Amino acid sequence: MIDVRQLTRHFDGTRALDDVSFQVHPGEIVALLGPNGAGKTTASRIIGGILAPSGGDVLVDGISVRKDANQVRARCGFVTDQPSLYERMPLRRYLGFFARLYDVAQPDVRAADLAKLLGLDDVIDRKLATFSRGMRQKVAIARALVHDPPVLLLDEPATALDPEMSQMLRGFIISLRARHRAILLTTHDLDEAQRIADRVVVLYKGKVLRIGATSDVRAAGRPSYTVAFAGDPAVARGALKRAGIDADSATARDGLTALRFAADDPAAVNPAALRALLDAGVRVVTLSAEERSLEDAYLSILAEARR
Amino acid sequence: MKWWLIAWREIRWEVFLDRTSLLRTGIFVVIPLFFVVSNRGIPQGPAGDLTLLGLALQSVFFPALSGVALIAATFSMEKENGTLVPLLAAPIRDFDIVLGKLVGMVVPVMVACVVTLAAAYGLAAYRYGVARVERVLTPELIYAVLVLSLLYLVTTGSVTMIVAARVKSSRAAQQVAGLVIALSAAVFAGLGFVASQLGEGWPLLALGVGLVLADVLALELARRVWQREEVIGRV
Ligand SMILES: Nc1ncnc2c1ncn2[C@@H]1O[C@H](COP(=O)(O)OP(=O)(O)OP(=O)(O)O)[C@@H](O)[C@H]1O
Ligand SMILES: [Mg+2]
Repeated sequence: MIDVRQLTRHFDGTRALDDVSFQVHPGEIVALLGPNGAGKTTASRIIGGILAPSGGDVLVDGISVRKDANQVRARCGFVTDQPSLYERMPLRRYLGFFARLYDVAQPDVRAADLAKLLGLDDVIDRKLATFSRGMRQKVAIARALVHDPPVLLLDEPATALDPEMSQMLRGFIISLRARHRAILLTTHDLDEAQRIADRVVVLYKGKVLRIGATSDVRAAGRPSYTVAFAGDPAVARGALKRAGIDADSATARDGLTALRFAADDPAAVNPAALRALLDAGVRVVTLSAEERSLEDAYLSILAEARR
Repeated sequence: MKWWLIAWREIRWEVFLDRTSLLRTGIFVVIPLFFVVSNRGIPQGPAGDLTLLGLALQSVFFPALSGVALIAATFSMEKENGTLVPLLAAPIRDFDIVLGKLVGMVVPVMVACVVTLAAAYGLAAYRYGVARVERVLTPELIYAVLVLSLLYLVTTGSVTMIVAARVKSSRAAQQVAGLVIALSAAVFAGLGFVASQLGEGWPLLALGVGLVLADVLALELARRVWQREEVIGRV
């Protein structure tokens, strides 16, 4: 649905995007990750037809943004990182205005439906200036959905939402995926990305650093394990050391002490570790695989790139 | 017709709800009327006729001048607030945005011009006699003055829009608008002076022709230069 091809973008001198390629298919959520200034917003603006590419192209539904930007715009719903609204307009009129811009068949009906969908129907006739930050964000989301677009470009949509609201938004995005929308979600919330993204694209200094299924990106790197025990951490570390295992520094966990170590071949390393610990009189309670979060993976990918 | 949607939104939800812009326009409406009222009698003969004409011109161009500042302000404010981005993301031509913004500003300002001129006419007729005012301010002349001010607004409006699209802050846009106002005020004053010296109407005609040319040029320039690319690239 979204096909980004060797996209490059300069801003007088600086190179915001450099040969970026990735795809988002219908019914898929792709998380666009990267540190501040990596080029995420620039990428989604180009996909949405707001900014022209310097090199390369983007096809949305087979249509090139270079050739027919308006056809692309008509297919994209765009949520910007700041919900910039016309403060003086009431919600009903605001959504109605955009529905008309997008040639929606019954703009006023659509406006009312959307307000209801996002739980804003009781404030539909209130001026947007009186809305809280979270409510504004919801309005921005409603605006992006006004023409029921097949492609959604969400640039940090959960900023300023309370936990309950961001959970609602998450559910909402998932329901859009179920309706075969192609969704590009730019976010700094790696927990959120881990929960809902099918694939992730990591941008760094305008380049694609990593791209892949969320589970693959998380799994990449050495698997690690944590042993939790009652007893002296120094004794436990010494025992592991003698078995040839380098553990990280000890952490407290639920009244126990925990040591983490990496194991390339857990079938050989883990039993050896356990034996060494038990022989040293350490009272081991659990030995468990360390679930590597997307955050851990992301941070190590970045650390690697910086080296 | 998307431009009309944008224009109408501007008129309905921005211009008439913006107290400062209303106040400013109000001041520019009141000042020329104040001049009409405070004028110490007008002598009979051509010199007096010219004064009468000058008062009428003032009552149109004062509000028109304020309109230029209004265009610069609303447009660059929208850019600064980021409310322009959703508009840029919509499937409309760049020109719809330019024209919509322009019409949305020009229409209310023209209304202010017409109202001021009508009020000035009424006040002048009351003070200096209906017959006299009717003789000097013929319907043709009033029509010409209004058309001129419309052309003036469109020209300076599109120029300020181009500038506002390219500068980064609304303060810069305001300064440029101020420059445009000062320059055009100088041109008007100069032409008025020439007209009063020669006692002829051709400088006014020249102004009209000049404005039409400038109009075409400015709109074409706005159409070419004002691309989404330019605007967002400079947000
Ligand atoms: N309009 C612009 N003019 C000049 N440079 C720009 C412009 N927009 C972006 N840039 C530059 O391009 C680079 C990428 O910016 P971009 O906004 O895409 O980053 P981002 O990944 O969205 O960052 P963040 O996480 O902070 O939102 C930055 O170096 C930025 O300074
Ligand atoms: Mg960004």
